[in-house]
Amino acid sequence: MFEGLEQINWGIIAPLIVIQLILMVIALVDWSKREVTNGPKWLWLLIIIFVTTLGPIFYFIFGRRDD
Amino acid sequence: MRQWYTIFQKEMLENWRNFKWVWVPLVILLLSIMDPITTYYMPEILDAVGNLPEGAVFKMPTPSPVESIMMSLSQLNTLGVLVIILMSMQTITGEIKSGVSEIILVKPVSYSNYVTAKWASFILISLASLFVGLIGSWYYTNLLFGDLNFIDLLKVFAFYSLWFMFIISLSIFFNTIVKSQGIILFLTIVVVMALNLLTSVLGKYFNWSPSQLSQHIEDMLLTNHISTDLIMSAIITIAASLLLLIGSITFFQSKKIVE
Repeated sequence: MFEGLEQINWGIIAPLIVIQLILMVIALVDWSKREVTNGPKWLWLLIIIFVTTLGPIFYFIFGRRDD
Repeated sequence: MRQWYTIFQKEMLENWRNFKWVWVPLVILLLSIMDPITTYYMPEILDAVGNLPEGAVFKMPTPSPVESIMMSLSQLNTLGVLVIILMSMQTITGEIKSGVSEIILVKPVSYSNYVTAKWASFILISLASLFVGLIGSWYYTNLLFGDLNFIDLLKVFAFYSLWFMFIISLSIFFNTIVKSQGIILFLTIVVVMALNLLTSVLGKYFNWSPSQLSQHIEDMLLTNHISTDLIMSAIITIAASLLLLIGSITFFQSKKIVE
């Protein structure tokens, strides 16, 4: 069923995955440094890891609290 | 001038520390390369997951390089604008809430320096992000759909960056009028959407409106010629941004921010 997908040139797709990984790693670094976030801290961990792309972005926009 | 530069540096440092310099360029890059890639793989994707009936044939036209760049721009026009607004929506109100602006403005710091330094720092981030995104889009366009002149790409950047500048000015302007971030977000989006709507409905009278920029950019790429419409749109966008900037300084000085 997934025959078509095997022919995909990973050189083209790889940058997309790398960008998503960088976003996730930075969000995790910031998350681990922070004592308090907007809303429960453990929930943000789940969001960052399991919601692809949008999770880290939402964390940066809504999760961080500037004190 | 030195005072302005100090505040500007403070803003740059802050935007570095809260990772805006990292995530905004990455998100803009992601947005601008997403569409060319998915369009390129659309036949394969449909094949694999589309559940098409046996023997169904789809003929998809391969987009031209210009169409591919325009796909990126249309993503930036919607989600990119949203990212830019979200990034800048709490710059002044956030500082008012946390008391930072009071600490800064109790010193002999002029209001105009404070506002323009913030404005400039956000312009710098969004232009850098736009550049990264367009380079990505250009790379994929050349890889997948055919050649596009780099000079053309620079022209696209030069004109499209004005639209981002307008969005930043609008967001900073509402920052100085209302206090709540949600309302700033809402008002900025409403104004941008109203402008888009008016431009598309009354295109004849709004030919030089800022949201017409991307349309004129497409024409420029197709005809290889910078039209007067494009230049007039650019001038009007710059003028509107400057007016908004002046307006935000005046509002901020009068300290009548609505709770």
